[in-house]
Amino acid sequence: MPLYINLTSFDIAQAQLAQIKVTLPKGFVALPNNGWQIANDQGQQAVAMWQLPGNYGQNFDLLYIKPQEQLQAGEYKILVEATCEAWQLKQEISFNYVPSDKTMQVQKAANVVVDKSQYNWYIQSVNLPVDAQGNKDDRAAANVIYVRDTTLEGFRNRMTGDGATNWSAVFNHPATFVMLEMRNPQKDVRVLKFKAELLDKNTGKLVPGLMTAGKVVDEEGHGWAGETGAAGETTAMISLDGKKNQTFILPLYVDYFTVLEGDYNLRVTVSGNGQEKIQEVPIAITKKHNVGLGAVGFSFLCALLALASSYRLPGCIKRIGARGAITVALFAALAFGGITLPTTLLGDLLHVFLGPFSGLVTGILSGVLQYLLIVSLLTLFRAPGVLALMFFVKYMLSGLMFGHFTPLGALSTCVSVVVLEAVLYLCGFYRVQQLGKHYMMLVALLLGLADAAVTFINLEQMMFFYRLYYADWYMALYMLINGLLYSSIGAWLGFKTGSKLQQVMGE
Amino acid sequence: MSVRQLWEGADKKGWAEELNGRTKLIMLFLFAILTITVDNPRTLFLLFSVTLLLHVAAGTSIYKWRVLAILLLLGLWGSMFSQALFFAQTPRTPLLTIISPECPYLGQLTGGLYVYREGILYGAVQGLRSASMLALGLLVCWTSDPRQLLQALLSWRLSPQIAFMLVTAIRFLPVMAAETGEVITALQLRSDSQKGRSAVLQHLPYICKPLLARCLRRAQTLALSVVSRGFFLASVGQRREEWLLREKLCCLVFLGFTVAVVASKIIYLLSEQGLYFGFFRIIYDWTVLYL
Repeated sequence: MPLYINLTSFDIAQAQLAQIKVTLPKGFVALPNNGWQIANDQGQQAVAMWQLPGNYGQNFDLLYIKPQEQLQAGEYKILVEATCEAWQLKQEISFNYVPSDKTMQVQKAANVVVDKSQYNWYIQSVNLPVDAQGNKDDRAAANVIYVRDTTLEGFRNRMTGDGATNWSAVFNHPATFVMLEMRNPQKDVRVLKFKAELLDKNTGKLVPGLMTAGKVVDEEGHGWAGETGAAGETTAMISLDGKKNQTFILPLYVDYFTVLEGDYNLRVTVSGNGQEKIQEVPIAITKKHNVGLGAVGFSFLCALLALASSYRLPGCIKRIGARGAITVALFAALAFGGITLPTTLLGDLLHVFLGPFSGLVTGILSGVLQYLLIVSLLTLFRAPGVLALMFFVKYMLSGLMFGHFTPLGALSTCVSVVVLEAVLYLCGFYRVQQLGKHYMMLVALLLGLADAAVTFINLEQMMFFYRLYYADWYMALYMLINGLLYSSIGAWLGFKTGSKLQQVMGE
Repeated sequence: MSVRQLWEGADKKGWAEELNGRTKLIMLFLFAILTITVDNPRTLFLLFSVTLLLHVAAGTSIYKWRVLAILLLLGLWGSMFSQALFFAQTPRTPLLTIISPECPYLGQLTGGLYVYREGILYGAVQGLRSASMLALGLLVCWTSDPRQLLQALLSWRLSPQIAFMLVTAIRFLPVMAAETGEVITALQLRSDSQKGRSAVLQHLPYICKPLLARCLRRAQTLALSVVSRGFFLASVGQRREEWLLREKLCCLVFLGFTVAVVASKIIYLLSEQGLYFGFFRIIYDWTVLYL
């Protein structure tokens, strides 16, 4: 029979190591189990070391004890001691022992053979996804778990290593529920341990992705158990109540930061009193690409905005005059010849050696040179729409010369135009009288930040439209170097170049 | 064959060259939407094969085939390389460890960087999308004069001023390339450095200012010229190329097909989100099997 021990720790900030010692009365023997060691020859003492989490947490486990044959009925006492460096706890449990008619066989002892006809609960079926009441939604595909998109939270996690911003929210809303049907022909009554793990479909190896509700966030209050020490699995205790059929609805918690999309085998293990029953179910995990959808939605919004404002372009051309328009065209031609052409031809070649990191090299052109041209042009012709004109001519050139008339290219151009024009408008670039050094440093930084945002949206669009994968750290690196660094440097150089070119304008 | 000749339209008059610019642009755009919509590897390969067959039918020269092959292979390699590193699906089998998760700082930051076997294959399949678009884009580029495509844009009410800007940009591309060479030569003479690639790289940061200054001077001269002749703000008298009825019909049919494909995909994706209708079952099946 199992002895359930639960230790709640609180009010101490540091994690503590505690020794749990269980002393059984004469006639009872403790069975070795995970983490439990039998301390004396008679098997009457079992010891385990538990790591108690800081602040608040719970540790619990089962210790299986076995009465000796011919043991008399009567009242017995079990002594449970928890010893730490700073404190010691003792608790005595009294219980009445009444021998059963049938002698239970225990499998764990190597020399004991289990009589399965006497003891045969087993897993009937495992179904998912179901809701908290066990109802299956016919519209939802069987054995598919949808997990939410954590791209932005992933960025935060990558920087701070804290995991979810709100673990309680994660544990209040499990990824799905599993319906576990158990058959119990012998009408056994006992507590069993449920464990769900993900297995690689090819190798059968355990892979991370599942977790147990066992993290504590101080700000969110208490209520969840502390670290269980069991990584990559969802665990729970279930209780057979003596019915022949019993259904359990169990929450399945997914670690959003480690889980990957794809096909797995879900291994469900139910164990108790030395018995272990396993069932594997093929499942698929699918992520909801909310950030990708959001980025594409934003791009379409930008495209609509750009289209709606396109009637202003002829007005902008009139404002800057023939000289301005021809300058824009020549600058766009330079951008095409100096950026698009080399990044198309050399970029592919660099890709062979540097792979996805070639963008960090070609980014010198697409970041530094592009922003140099944009800001120097804007320094010469400071009017809303000039930037849009340059991007438009560059896109059209690329289309006319290379046949690059792609929807993604059009969307990226619209995003760049809308975001950069908005930033320039909001920072008052078109309204200030004089472009001072300090002010232009700020503008360069803002343009760098805007380009980082544009880079993020473009990468998300690539992932969405071309079904590509990019790691979150790669996106962050790309945003930081290609977006912020190169573009800010380019914008600053553009201001310096533009200031010098004003002398040529005055000739 | 020079690089310039490579990107210019051919002089010969085949069926591809005689197609209207509008037909080419519409087909190119719709084809790009199709490749974005399709997920099925076999259909993607079919679309890619169609672009290659079109090259065969258009009689693309051997030299251009070589260039196309190199660009396609480089593009596919790039896609395979990046997806081999970032493949985030299971099952996946690491073939090579580039950064171990235990590696200080970098390992912690990246969570380990591996080359995944399944990622290579996935990258090859997904790379077919951009490969198809590249192949068709080059076909359009090699069988059209930029003026033909510009005419198409003008017939869709592109502002004559913007059209003028585009023509100016195209016209001055080779001139600016020649000027870049002159600036590099001048810089080399001034610095008394040796000729060669390293000397060009050494002078690259200083090329920009003289080139931009020349652009400004040229813009000034050109502006004076076009304004004095009244070219710039006058609406351009457009001599429109005839758009044959059969080409229009082809475009309409292809548009209908693309809309049907996109609509099927959207209907299927909505069904996955719970917006399921029984009478669309044939569409769901068709989408799963072919799209």
